[in-house]
Amino acid sequence: MVHYIGVILDESRYEQIKGTPIEEKVQSIFGGTLKMLVVEVPEDKSEQILKAFDRARIDSRGFIEDVPVAFRRAVFEEIVKNKSLDIIDKVLERLPEIQELAKKEDEYIPPPEIE
Amino acid sequence: MAKLNIPPPHGGELVYRVIGKKDYAESMAAGAIEFDLKPTTLPDGTPIRHVYREIMSVCYGFFSPVEGSMTSTDLEGVLKERRLESGWVFPYPILLDASEEDIKAADIKEGDRLLLKLKGEPFAVMDVEEIYKINPEEVAVRTFGTPEDNPEVVREPFNEKHPGYMIYKMMNDHVIAGKWTIVNPPKFREPYDRFWLPPAECRTVIKYVKKWRTCIAHQTRNVPHTGHEALMKNAAYTGDIEPCHGILVNAIIGAKRRGDYPNEAILEGHEAVNKYGYIKPSRHMVTFTLWDMRYGNPIESLLHGVIRQNMGCTHHMFGRDHAAVGEYYDKYATQILWSEGIPSFGFEAPPNEVEKGLKIIPQNMAEFWYCPVCGEIAYSESCGHVDKKQKFSGSFLRGMVAEGVMPPKVVMRPEVYKAIVKWWKVFNYPFVNKKYLENLNANLEVDLAPMEIPKA
Repeated sequence: MVHYIGVILDESRYEQIKGTPIEEKVQSIFGGTLKMLVVEVPEDKSEQILKAFDRARIDSRGFIEDVPVAFRRAVFEEIVKNKSLDIIDKVLERLPEIQELAKKEDEYIPPPEIE
Repeated sequence: MAKLNIPPPHGGELVYRVIGKKDYAESMAAGAIEFDLKPTTLPDGTPIRHVYREIMSVCYGFFSPVEGSMTSTDLEGVLKERRLESGWVFPYPILLDASEEDIKAADIKEGDRLLLKLKGEPFAVMDVEEIYKINPEEVAVRTFGTPEDNPEVVREPFNEKHPGYMIYKMMNDHVIAGKWTIVNPPKFREPYDRFWLPPAECRTVIKYVKKWRTCIAHQTRNVPHTGHEALMKNAAYTGDIEPCHGILVNAIIGAKRRGDYPNEAILEGHEAVNKYGYIKPSRHMVTFTLWDMRYGNPIESLLHGVIRQNMGCTHHMFGRDHAAVGEYYDKYATQILWSEGIPSFGFEAPPNEVEKGLKIIPQNMAEFWYCPVCGEIAYSESCGHVDKKQKFSGSFLRGMVAEGVMPPKVVMRPEVYKAIVKWWKVFNYPFVNKKYLENLNANLEVDLAPMEIPKA
């Protein structure tokens, strides 16, 4: 069974993929208020992700959620670097580095500056 | 249809066992044997329950007609058929457990009066009616059921991954039974104090301040997204000759798990829904109950019914996977209980149709999603564009929040998001982490004033 990872695109992320073949794969959700890229993950690889991060889970939509921010960032970086959504192997190669970054996330995530 | 009114408390009379007058409290506590309340912990020392929350909920009447730690007869009745010795429906064992060593060290015997201490200060007294032994694992198994004994709704055997099962399994193997009375009412810290509305006061507010004749309860342990808001608004269309007059949000506040939203953000997030007019404050009110959630799906829904009926609600909304974790129960177990009953749990009929059952009326709800064709949040049983649905996912939203992306207002109201960010700045983290847990477990939600108890 295939699972999915959703990568939310804010303005800065969208600029990085604009004009590349990835742009046409952007999905618009919630009435066009949110843009997202969806990466397909084969079951054996989603199991690796679930094992790597103790709080990760598959939600009712089949998406892999509750993964560290560092993991999502790595997914997006690989998409930009490879101009492709077929990047899950590249992300898995970086698991040890992502796990290290994730440990720091348990203590502090900088809050956004909003009024 | 006849017009409805606020139902009577469960059991007929609201329990209120709190003594605020110092002189009376001191005389009640004088000479009592001191006993320190301790958290229930996992083998690694992680607290998963603090009995003080149950003492608060019992003494302030949330769990009426229960008045204290259950006797062995009450416990057996609850485990066998979810009935107290008096015959009233009640779902969960409420127990003050203790180790044999602690009982011996304090020389506690039946007939003694105990002074229960919390955070080093006097908190409550109890007259010991019975001391008896339990097998905690057996209590855990019978509390939640098994696929063999409860085939209607239990799908998998409960195990150590289930938080509620572990609460009972990790209890000490002795129970001190008897009625509790709070003699040193704790003070809630900010922002809990603004949302603390025990049943007697809640009923008064509903009747005389809000002037609601009918009121539907919304169970929560989450920051609300617009799917929750749609659930509240639409479920409230039930009522009698008109929609429910009010919506009572009642958050369950207790032991937390890493990755949850902080309690403070949950309460203020829900408050933002009425403060900023998404549901008028005259129609919406936020409160909480202290309870270390057991995640018992249908069993938990019974407790929710008891609590909210005691608070004065006429109706209770129940969704799919109500108060559930994992795949232990059928996704619709709660709705099965409230629509046809679960005989193996003691309900040949729904809990509001059995003798000495509840009076609160269930409103079983399906799902809400965003439909891009309808261009609105749609009800799953109404919307015909099933293949186009965009489901709300709490974990998807948590991911967005963690990345610092402000969710679009069609998914989460900006003011709700700001409540998350407010507490994120306080705790340096948007969700519950190790530091938050350490702080919560050490300080709890309350402070107690120093109290000198005269010796006997």
